[in-house]
Amino acid sequence: MPTARDNTRSCILLLLPLLLLCAGLFAQTADTSASAAASGVRSMHVLGLEGVKRNLHGTLTAQPSGLDFKAGGAHGTVAIASIQDVFTAQDSHQVGGKVLTVAKMGVPYGGGRVVSLFSHEKLDSLTVEYRDANGGLHGVVFTMPLGQATVLKKQLVDLGAHASIPVASEPEKQDGDTKK
Amino acid sequence: MNSNLKLRALRMVRVAWPVVLLCAFSLGLTALGFTQEKEKTEMTTSPWAIQVEPVQADEGQLPPDFSMAIYEDLIAQLTKSEKFQQVFRSGDKEADGVPNLLVLHMTLEKFERGNQTTRAVTTVAGATKVKVHLKVSTRDGNPVVEKDVQGTVRIFGENLKATFALAKDIATTLRNASLPAPAKGAGQ
Repeated sequence: MPTARDNTRSCILLLLPLLLLCAGLFAQTADTSASAAASGVRSMHVLGLEGVKRNLHGTLTAQPSGLDFKAGGAHGTVAIASIQDVFTAQDSHQVGGKVLTVAKMGVPYGGGRVVSLFSHEKLDSLTVEYRDANGGLHGVVFTMPLGQATVLKKQLVDLGAHASIPVASEPEKQDGDTKK
Repeated sequence: MNSNLKLRALRMVRVAWPVVLLCAFSLGLTALGFTQEKEKTEMTTSPWAIQVEPVQADEGQLPPDFSMAIYEDLIAQLTKSEKFQQVFRSGDKEADGVPNLLVLHMTLEKFERGNQTTRAVTTVAGATKVKVHLKVSTRDGNPVVEKDVQGTVRIFGENLKATFALAKDIATTLRNASLPAPAKGAGQ
């Protein structure tokens, strides 16, 4: 007849491997984000980069020459020395693009709204302010998977880019309502 | 014989009226095109150049991605409108030598960050709104245009779409504004 003490012990024995597995997965995720940032982050160019179309998906890397974005034939670089400031933020958006939006509209009895509840994802945004050769101010905005923007910002700062807000004190979440 | 002629005439009218209608329609379109072309030509005749300054806001009131998106969208929209001779960025040294220069300042009035999921689920809530006070003045500080402009995304689209709406509204305001003739040696 198993006692209460035996039950607790078996529970702990069952939970321990699970906890270890979760910890391992978490560590693996953190390592992946750091290594992914080193080899280039899959990101979307929202706006601002000269000669690169808006909403283009490509690879963003922080190199000694500058912030480099490559997408197919398009290529844009921001020199480290010209960077005035780097900011990161978080936002959420609906996945699936226009196709899913239209499909959701077609679902009867408001079913599309229910789909919307589950078809969103959080993402990071990286904003870089820089000046061109004439001193003109430019701004570039990229979006990327969660957790990647801070890693990229840290790499840029390490390479010599100026940032008014240090990486450690960057606000964790900006996805709330802000009113003035 | 007479009835034959009548029938023939009727048949001709039946065949001809769509052709006449088509001709009238194309003439109308051509006239409209001429008018728009004329308006466009008139728009490009503005002797002013403009320098865009980024949005002025208290610290933490406007996220940097929104601030930069407004700035970049506005430069793109003003360039597209062809209202001004040149569109300069903030701090551009080339603007120093331009005689007829207007400076565009924006001050944040209100910012409300919504949520795309809330918009998609409720339709009525979760709108993102950006309201700025627009002031265009000559280099010596004389105001030429002053207005409150708002950009909103209500149902479809990501939050940053509000900045595009705002920039478009500002560009339309400036396109329709009657700018004064530059004074001789203004801004020199």
